[in-house]
Amino acid sequence: MECRETQTLLTAFHDGELPAADRARVEEHLRGCPECAALLADLARVDRAAGVPDPGPAYWNRFNARVMDRVARDADGPGVRVLRPKGGWMREQLRYLVPAAAAAALVVVIVHYAGMRPGAPIPTPAAPPAASKPAAADSSGERMAKAEPESRATKKAGSAAAARPVPPPAPAKDRVATVTREERDRLAARSLPPGNEDASGGRAAAPTPGSPPVTAASGMTQESPAERKKMERVAAPMTEPQGAGKAASAPGMGIAQEPSPGSPCERAHALAERDRMRDAEAAQRACLAGDLDAPSREKGLVFLAELLDRQARFSEADAVIAEVDRRFPQSRPLDHYRQQRPMVQKQPEAVPVTR
Amino acid sequence: MRADLEEEKDERLAALAAGGDRDAFDALVTRHRQAVYRLCWSAAGNAADADDAAQETFVRVYRSLPSYDPTRPFGPWLRKIAWNCGLTARRDGNAGVPRVAGGDAPEAVDPAPGPEEEAAGNEERRRVADAMAGLPAELRMVMVLRAVEGLSYAEIALAAGIPAGTVMSRLSRARTRLLAALYARSGGGS
Repeated sequence: MECRETQTLLTAFHDGELPAADRARVEEHLRGCPECAALLADLARVDRAAGVPDPGPAYWNRFNARVMDRVARDADGPGVRVLRPKGGWMREQLRYLVPAAAAAALVVVIVHYAGMRPGAPIPTPAAPPAASKPAAADSSGERMAKAEPESRATKKAGSAAAARPVPPPAPAKDRVATVTREERDRLAARSLPPGNEDASGGRAAAPTPGSPPVTAASGMTQESPAERKKMERVAAPMTEPQGAGKAASAPGMGIAQEPSPGSPCERAHALAERDRMRDAEAAQRACLAGDLDAPSREKGLVFLAELLDRQARFSEADAVIAEVDRRFPQSRPLDHYRQQRPMVQKQPEAVPVTR
Repeated sequence: MRADLEEEKDERLAALAAGGDRDAFDALVTRHRQAVYRLCWSAAGNAADADDAAQETFVRVYRSLPSYDPTRPFGPWLRKIAWNCGLTARRDGNAGVPRVAGGDAPEAVDPAPGPEEEAAGNEERRRVADAMAGLPAELRMVMVLRAVEGLSYAEIALAAGIPAGTVMSRLSRARTRLLAALYARSGGGS
């Protein structure tokens, strides 16, 4: 072995990462070559010197308390308790959307009944009261008490709904509880673009007859996983036309402007949420072929990358990500997605979160 | 830190913290804060941004604990968050240009007057630290993860999201530049 070859292997040799055969050859060369041996010694010297400036003990003594202060501020108060949803991180993301969806549904229901049937009373739940779960769809309720880390996003969702011209006949908690299966179906049908029979049918079929009203976050802790999933599938898309989804502020949640209802962009999200990744990809590509402003295009491309990842087409996703990098240097949506990406690639079947 | 938590594995602590155990979260922070800070420093290139990023890392970890899968190793997950926070802090702080300030020089290992050899060692550290701060972030990252944290190529590859071969080439480039800095004041070679 010559010096040149040895030196190309020296880094891996120094790090103990060289296969045994190469290692033996390098060792043999080093025994007879003081120059390469000196270079190896210098590598060790550099490593020893390559520390990171330590801020000192006073810094570390305060570090944990500062983190906890920041966590408390982040959660709007101390004493937080992190819930652990059984469905993993995707479900965690959806928890922001469910209350927003419930609030949005309420607006539609009230507007519908106020506008179409003047004087008609607001309907009561179709299911018997005993079957109803306590609602905790906005900033009040049981979920707040248990999971304050999410309270900020939840409050935003609540305030987004409150900003709409909603008559104030009852507390939000009660109002949300009046969103019945029928209303939910009607809303789901409205939120879909015309002609999307499949998606509409799937959504309308999700609730089972006699199922309890949508109770948003209470479902996360009290209902069966299957039931929860159905509810989320129904509820999550509702936020898009209402714009309430923008209130979500969790990591990994994009803040893209919602496309207009019925657009390919919206269809892509609706399809993706129904696990129809290939169709969603086609819709998203159609969306991107349209005339989008720069932020929407940036977020749209990131979403396309996620759709590709969810189909295990990682190299194509890499190419899209490279395009985002090239066209939108230091893209924050991409930065967020990069954090989530390993988990996305691990759970390709999960509902996408990039918006 | 509660004594019973000291021996627990990271993944177990994370699961406890996700269930609301503040002491478990505190134990995780204590265990990893220095490594997180170093990684953030390697991404950000300066102490102020590294501090902000290290704090932000643990806030994000806390927020994300419910989504953490305890069957997966905690370290790579944490490092990924830390690295991203470091990069973000750098962008926010100084538009991607690493700041090299006197205040960022490493603390002297022995601040008291010592033998000449030790003083030379400190001088060497200072020079290499300056060169480290001047490295591109992606080279600095692999260097910190390898030389300071002692991670294997596979672990670095996982943390950086790059192939193991790239880890080796980046390490080689980083060391070449650091060696050049070392030699520059050593009379051109040693």
